[in-house]
Amino acid sequence: MNKTKGKVLNRYHVIFLAQSIMIGTGILSLPQKLSPMGYTQSFMPLLFGVIASLTLFAMVWLCSKFPNDDLFRMNEILLGKWLGKFINLLVIIQFIVFSAGIISNYMHLIQSTALQEQTITMPVLCFLLLLIYIVSGGIKSIARFCVMTFFITIGLVYFTRWAIEKGDPSHFLPLFNFTPKEFYEALKQGYFSILGYELILFYFPYIIDQKKAFRHSLIGIWISIALCFITTAISVMYYSEWQLKNVEFSVLNLFKAGEFTFIERIDIIGITLWVFLILSSVTAYVWCAKRGVDTLLKKKKQQSYQLYIIACIIFIIIKMPFSREFQEKLFMASNYVGYVLVIWPVFLILIYVIRKKQVQI
Amino acid sequence: MNEIPEQIVAKLKQEINEVDDVKLKMIDTEEGDVTVIYFSSLIEKMTLQTMVTIPLANNLKQIHQMAQYVDPKDVQGVVKKLNAGQTLLFFHETNALLSIDTYSAPTRAITDTETESTVIGPQDAFTESLETNISLVRRRIQSSMLKNENRIVGSEANIKISIMYMDNIVSHENLDDLRNRIDQVDYPLFTDISVLKQLIEDNPLSPFPQYYMTVRPDSICRYLLDGRIVVFMDNSQLAIVCPTSFFEMFVSIEDYYNRWTTASLLRMLRFFGFFLTIMITPMYISALTFHPEILPYELLLNLQESRSKVPFPPLIEVLFIELIIEVLREAGSRMPAKVGQTIGIVGGIVIGTAAVEAGLLSNILIVLVATSALLSFLPPIFLMSNTSRFIRYIFILSAGLFGLFGQMLAFAWLIHHLLSLKSLGTHYMTPAIPRKPSDLLDSVMRFPTKYIRSKTGISKAQKK
Repeated sequence: MNKTKGKVLNRYHVIFLAQSIMIGTGILSLPQKLSPMGYTQSFMPLLFGVIASLTLFAMVWLCSKFPNDDLFRMNEILLGKWLGKFINLLVIIQFIVFSAGIISNYMHLIQSTALQEQTITMPVLCFLLLLIYIVSGGIKSIARFCVMTFFITIGLVYFTRWAIEKGDPSHFLPLFNFTPKEFYEALKQGYFSILGYELILFYFPYIIDQKKAFRHSLIGIWISIALCFITTAISVMYYSEWQLKNVEFSVLNLFKAGEFTFIERIDIIGITLWVFLILSSVTAYVWCAKRGVDTLLKKKKQQSYQLYIIACIIFIIIKMPFSREFQEKLFMASNYVGYVLVIWPVFLILIYVIRKKQVQI
Repeated sequence: MNEIPEQIVAKLKQEINEVDDVKLKMIDTEEGDVTVIYFSSLIEKMTLQTMVTIPLANNLKQIHQMAQYVDPKDVQGVVKKLNAGQTLLFFHETNALLSIDTYSAPTRAITDTETESTVIGPQDAFTESLETNISLVRRRIQSSMLKNENRIVGSEANIKISIMYMDNIVSHENLDDLRNRIDQVDYPLFTDISVLKQLIEDNPLSPFPQYYMTVRPDSICRYLLDGRIVVFMDNSQLAIVCPTSFFEMFVSIEDYYNRWTTASLLRMLRFFGFFLTIMITPMYISALTFHPEILPYELLLNLQESRSKVPFPPLIEVLFIELIIEVLREAGSRMPAKVGQTIGIVGGIVIGTAAVEAGLLSNILIVLVATSALLSFLPPIFLMSNTSRFIRYIFILSAGLFGLFGQMLAFAWLIHHLLSLKSLGTHYMTPAIPRKPSDLLDSVMRFPTKYIRSKTGISKAQKK
């Protein structure tokens, strides 16, 4: 670690961090979220990929101007101390709520498919313990976990084989059969499935080869986009338009099409194995939140009690005594705030260009 | 015998008081009286005769050529030499103290390995003698670059260890790290090198062995030439290799003697066998307790029929039979070999057949447990197969808690734990996330020998 002055992420880490954080619970319901566009949706992920690449470019450009600072520091430098701190607090809250949202969605899914007879309290607790264990290893340990996650879970693609066999490729046509309003609706609901790559704003200072970070992240993003594309394409082939609109977790139902003589419900194996993907994205968000708290409190030393507090807050958010509707609304709101975070670097770049002369780097 | 006038020798005598196997002998020579002091238990009579007594009587020149002068004032140093099997000669007239290395404690012969036997390849194994072990390696690598540093460890027992490496290949960073760790060890007694190994491991709390241990000289040579460091200990048959990766725990040296096709097949079997052995019985619990719908109707019917008489829930049933297997194994390895045959009969017939007929266990579970018990013995490193059994209990309990989800959580824990482990500062899971693309040629697949040329990434070998 001393050799590279705290820079720990090599190119594989960068590729798979970008890739694994993007794939969470979002992809499970992506075909439903895109359903306003009907059968035309299959090519939406490619469009998302283009948007992601453009916004990634803005992020990496901004980061390259501050090679040793993450977004929390940048906010403080560019927006002034107090406004910056306020924005940082919002970002931290956003990350905590967003992680809680991911975990809560996943746990309710687990409860409805695999653990019908239990409450989610104990599984959530165990999950959070594992989360703390991974996050306390630092960003490198998260990155290594992401690499393994990719290779462990990529095998799930094979289980969509039967859906392809039973599907009808003619569903792809016609290509452009939607109105602008439907398009906007699908964009708004679907894009948050691929959120996650924006975390490069926070781990950029740890990348060894910062000049090539853009290229490596791009590879990661496009691997995820390809997976999303496979998902939507197969869903379009397999489902009717009505099913697309009403089947919530269409990926799980794709697995159900499987036919083995010894396993009936591949979707249960799929959804439980999904815990790797959830862990890889949530750990990254929680790590960022912890860094944010560190910056806010100006802690130089590595302490872990913030991590326990963050985990407690997540647990409380998941188990809070509000209705499921309120929770859904909260998590939905945090998704939209996530969009702001994607656009945020563009805003910071504007400030940077205006204040270029005043800012001392 | 009692007439040694000098005070120094008196002190020495005090030091070795009540040690009955120390012999003091007076011999009359051309240069006056000489007192010979030695441990009779560490020196063979023949050696003593040819090296000390006969030359003393006939050829004093030879003695002066062979012997080393010792400072008689350093009593502790003198006693240490005596303990190491040297013979001390005290010349009364000149007041000179000399020492001759006559260490010749009885050792056993080089025999076949019983714990790591192979069908193809050399059959000799290390013994408990450090000299023999180093000789077994040195006759395979005839190069002056093969260095061995001797050190003494153990604050009470003073055990000799030897650190061996190829000077032109080894990473000196690793070497310094290892030396530091060995220097910092403060432990009185080392009865085997595995004690030292546990003290110098990166994560002593982990269930996984972090250094390779073997009794095979050919295996050691292969690692030495890859730039690893090998540590031998006197009185210990095993030698440790560091750093080692997780994957190498599933590599047998025989893989390199077999055809590459067979070797690859066997490696895959061992590697995936490890993950199967920790997953099979937990799967049974999850499927029957939480997700019966995962099984097709006919199979489920079959399973339920076989355990229709079983009064326990699947978790208890599995724990019960797993514990019985452990008991069988432990009893088999502790009891005298002559009684050992009964264990097979007791285990196979009584527990296998009778337990099913009595309705205590389902016969499908017996098949699964037997398979996973066999699978757990696949890794060539015995410590690894112990680890796999321990890990299995974690998986069984978590499957009992949350079914498949618990299993996957435990699996995520396992993966993260393996990823965060280090062996001598290098990541333990190295070939899974290769440090060098060439590592992949010699991992789960063993490619034809001519492609495996470069050093592995984990050894951080010097570049030429």
